[in-house]
Amino acid sequence: MKNINPGLTSQIREGFGQMLQIWVREFRLIFSDVGVMILIFAVPLIYPVLYSFIYYPEVVRDLPVAVVDLSNSHDSRKFIRDLNATPELNVLCQPNSMEEAITLFKKRKIRGIVQIPETFSNDIALKKQTTISAYADMEFFLYYKALVTGVSFVTLETGYQIQVRNLIQEGMTGQQAETIAEPLRLVDNPMANPSGGFASYGIPAALILIIQQTLIIAIGIMAGTARERHASGNLVHPNRKRMGTLRLVSGKAAAYFTIYALLCVYMLGLIPKWFGYARLADFVELMALITPFLLSGIFFGMTLSAIFKSRESSMMLYLFSSIPLLFLSGIIWPLSNFNPLWLMVREIFPSSNAMFGYIKMNSLGASIFETRKEIMSLWIQTGVYFLTACLVCGYQAHIPKVLRNNTAQ
Amino acid sequence: MKHRIISIRIVAVREINRMTSRSLYFLVVLAFPLLSILFFSSLMKQGVPTRMPVGIVDLDQTATSRKIARNIDVTPISKVTMNLQSENEAMSQLRTGNIYGFVIIPENLQADLLASRQPVIGYYYQNGFLIAGGLMQNDLTLILHTLSGGINIQKREALGQSKEFILSQVQPIQLNTHLLFNPVSNYSIYITSIILPIMLQIFILLMTVYSIGIEIKERTSHEWLHAADKSIFIALTGKLLPYTILFFTVMMFQNFMLYKLMQIPMHTSIGWLIFISFIFVLTYQAIGVFCIGLLPMMRHSLNLSAFYGILALTLCGFSFPVESMPPVFQYWAAGFPVRHYMHIFQSQILAGFGFRYAYFSYICLLLFLLLPLAIIRRLKSALIYQNFIENKHKT
Repeated sequence: MKNINPGLTSQIREGFGQMLQIWVREFRLIFSDVGVMILIFAVPLIYPVLYSFIYYPEVVRDLPVAVVDLSNSHDSRKFIRDLNATPELNVLCQPNSMEEAITLFKKRKIRGIVQIPETFSNDIALKKQTTISAYADMEFFLYYKALVTGVSFVTLETGYQIQVRNLIQEGMTGQQAETIAEPLRLVDNPMANPSGGFASYGIPAALILIIQQTLIIAIGIMAGTARERHASGNLVHPNRKRMGTLRLVSGKAAAYFTIYALLCVYMLGLIPKWFGYARLADFVELMALITPFLLSGIFFGMTLSAIFKSRESSMMLYLFSSIPLLFLSGIIWPLSNFNPLWLMVREIFPSSNAMFGYIKMNSLGASIFETRKEIMSLWIQTGVYFLTACLVCGYQAHIPKVLRNNTAQ
Repeated sequence: MKHRIISIRIVAVREINRMTSRSLYFLVVLAFPLLSILFFSSLMKQGVPTRMPVGIVDLDQTATSRKIARNIDVTPISKVTMNLQSENEAMSQLRTGNIYGFVIIPENLQADLLASRQPVIGYYYQNGFLIAGGLMQNDLTLILHTLSGGINIQKREALGQSKEFILSQVQPIQLNTHLLFNPVSNYSIYITSIILPIMLQIFILLMTVYSIGIEIKERTSHEWLHAADKSIFIALTGKLLPYTILFFTVMMFQNFMLYKLMQIPMHTSIGWLIFISFIFVLTYQAIGVFCIGLLPMMRHSLNLSAFYGILALTLCGFSFPVESMPPVFQYWAAGFPVRHYMHIFQSQILAGFGFRYAYFSYICLLLFLLLPLAIIRRLKSALIYQNFIENKHKT
């Protein structure tokens, strides 16, 4: 036993030293490559700020609409004033006919039409039901939402006031009238993103996706460049054959991990703070999610780099996945409506669970326990992709020996 | 003239030989675009999400409260998957992601209703997801309002009011919402029809930059120019022609999927559709040429076109409307052909408004075709002098 122990410790020390060497070497390679530097520093630095400015207004306000007022009465004018007073709508004009309104719509001067019927005021006076028509622009989901929200609110409010007024006229007290008109009080509680702002919705997910995509493309570029430079076309430098696969994989991973850990401080720490996105997760919770996310992303990238034969390959073959990955995360199309095939594909990419988990933690305040499914999946991915990364690197390290042996013969 | 056509053919044949020599070409030009079409057309096949899981916290446990749960369950949007004991438990399930929303039915609901004490029902939903949150809100609000209206009716019946009178009183103003140009509120139409051109423009941009950049990088640009009789116009035409044909075919297949299989309304002739698809492909090839001409070192022009291509998703304004962005970005947005394409799609194809409402977008698209002229000399000199080769220092 005494003989083995010192040998083992020195072996570990040696291995660790070599890992550090690879780490430093990878650092040097990254920092001497302008293309990669732009990708892993400029893109994560600029994109979040740019997106935040683009989506800065968060919601659609003052949607230009036309009101065709066929009633032209005191009641209808009040209705129009109320529409104009909602944050969502701006009554831009009051054309005389629907034809006129539709022409304005075709010219994109207005984004919705509200029609008040001729009988509006009479119906209200005679206690008959009257009908308001709203024509929404379904081409843009947020325009549709703004119009419907604004018009429904005014319609319900006005209707409620008319109902209570009529009941009081029938001899009820205000209190009695209100309980009849509104037997139940409904309290609406939107969670995670109460105002439904677009930046608050899209940017947290985009941050995670940017981290993963730049990471994987950067690793692919480094691997492709290495292959172009070495005559044998492999990932691993032939002179490094003595370094074990494990040391190689962990040394490279450590280099990317340190860079991205720092970037995360900026992207997940400073950006949400500067632009006021939800920040319910504390440091430890974020660490619990982001650590396996970065690791699985790095090993996934190293695995994929097996297929990136030249410097450009990763950009050409992987960039496009960014948009499908946004949909695969489940923040756009609900996961409950995914078919089993896409649910399986979803589990291939670390970003899916990381985006979902990040939004849960940061916007809803989910604890580590409540995010266990995502964290577990990320650790499983870390394990699986670590093995595949070792296989890829090990296989690549093995090739030059074979080549040399062949040429020697 | 005939001589030129022959030269273009020579360059095109040379390009086809290059394309078949690497699998990258096949993947980027055909396999991945087709995969994207398959992905997006099948992911949202339903059009509207259905049966999203919701929870109920029933603290009342009466006939009325059970009726509420049943009413929520039978709507197409939501499905009651969990009966929970407390608000805390429900909130935890929402945070975990097992449910998209929940309703809390308070104690003594039935008794309070009978005694006209205006009980309070609170409903919660995950609004961090735009589509799911919006649908949940609409669905739960509608169900609970209907329920409230039903109780209103019962009370009035007890007061002896007539049925017709009650209906007019409970809802004095009815709202009829008409959806213009996407009559079935179908997310698939709304998203897929724009996201597929956005995917395609990424492939066209990257491929154009790569096919030219690789000649500079691998120092084969002289050979290419010689094949083209030293004319940069013939060289570019011959090289890009095979891609024009292939991407145009992919785009027409995409149109077939959209307008035939997914049955998105198409209110224009097939001629217009062919024309706009053709212009779309050419426009992005022109921008690709511009990128590589501007930065003849491929690694940089690929970065540039990637940055530009991904930004199109945001700045074409289909998710967050351009008119609601800060003014400076409204000008930026004009620099993305897919935005003009989207306008033409919505106005001419989907709504059938006629050419005169979309002509300006056509002009914008055609203007992009002039872009290569700005850098054509720079590109030619880069091809001749090969002065943008990256240093391959051995490590």
